[in-house]
Amino acid sequence: MAQLHRPGSLDEAVELLSGLDNAMVYGGGTAIQILIKQGILFADHFVDLATVPGLREVTADDRGVTVGPMVSIRRMETAAPPLAADAYRHVANPRVRNTASVGGNLAHGDYRLDPPTALLVLDAVVLATSAGGTREIPVREFFTDFQETALEPGELVSGVRIPNQDASAGYHFEKNSSLGENDWPCASAAVLLDDRTVHIGLGAVAPVPVYVTADIAGLDDQGAVDAAIAAVEPVLDPIPDVRGGAEYKRRLARVTVEDAVRRAWKDRDHG
Amino acid sequence: MTTQITVKVNGVEHFLDVEDDALLLDVLREKVGTTSVREGCGVGACGACTVLSGGMSVSSCLALAVRYDGAELTTAEGLDETDDVVSSFVDCDAAQCGYCIPGFVLMSRELLAENARPSECQITEHLEGNICRCGTYPEIRKAVAAAAERRSPR
Repeated sequence: MAQLHRPGSLDEAVELLSGLDNAMVYGGGTAIQILIKQGILFADHFVDLATVPGLREVTADDRGVTVGPMVSIRRMETAAPPLAADAYRHVANPRVRNTASVGGNLAHGDYRLDPPTALLVLDAVVLATSAGGTREIPVREFFTDFQETALEPGELVSGVRIPNQDASAGYHFEKNSSLGENDWPCASAAVLLDDRTVHIGLGAVAPVPVYVTADIAGLDDQGAVDAAIAAVEPVLDPIPDVRGGAEYKRRLARVTVEDAVRRAWKDRDHG
Repeated sequence: MTTQITVKVNGVEHFLDVEDDALLLDVLREKVGTTSVREGCGVGACGACTVLSGGMSVSSCLALAVRYDGAELTTAEGLDETDDVVSSFVDCDAAQCGYCIPGFVLMSRELLAENARPSECQITEHLEGNICRCGTYPEIRKAVAAAAERRSPR
């Protein structure tokens, strides 16, 4: 395995990250250990964030919640706005969620992860820290390509800010898998809708998680479903694999979006 | 690199030299001798390697041992039939081959510590990451409900 470094502060962590050759941040470590076992992770150094104080804080104010990178996925089930909480609740299983981290989940950048779908809809902001300071990256600009994020070399996720969710809007997170209940999804959708707009975050149906909106002013529920499916159609670009071919995943994406919109519609009207 | 860590396993302190890349699973099996902690899938999906750290479930197959310096760990060796969960599993015939049962027992203890009266749905959800190849899920669910009843009778 790569050499493990255990910094005692965030400054030390980012210094290590920029100074070492081929270094990677070690967050919760669940994904990293799986990728090591699969033989597809190549890093020479790990910078462990577990020893850095202050990265497990959750701070709420009237605009939203700011979450440290080492906060567990499990804690987000209760700490995040409802749509995001639902998406976090669908990650892996409760035991893995105890260890897996919010920052690592984002930096992993996998197109099939659940939380990004909701964070896209809620317009969350990723805080990226390097030796040069901290910058803000809207999550809608964070996922740049297959397994690629907007993080620069030497940068780490130092937090994520999730704005409050409009309490009068309806919401739903829907996830469909083809192999097993706990397998990667074939299609997932986080949906938030008010009277005028439906916001949709899509997972697993394109090389990156995707965000789209559709105008639903004056439409009934079937009209909103049709508008949502028409809006996602151009961004569907599924990767065929053992979980299904491209056409299957395309169809499942439409079904997933329809289910999520209908459930969100009911949630808005009936709470 | 080798680091010395101190872990309390089932109430007993162990001073261990561990490699930086050593997994908690291997350290517990090979250095501590708690072989109820088992490897199944190796990727956190089956629950056979479950341990409790400070009461919180962890997949030891994905956990670096050095991170558990100072931790208080519970494995199935720390429990006996005076434990409500263990005795309920026995009484409900929840074990067939038994390979997965230590993991199920520990997950159930975590659940009951968080939620004294879980619904059947909550039991299923909390155990969703544990696999029993013998398929004794109905008996396992019954055992968890029975343990809840024993701990806090209605």
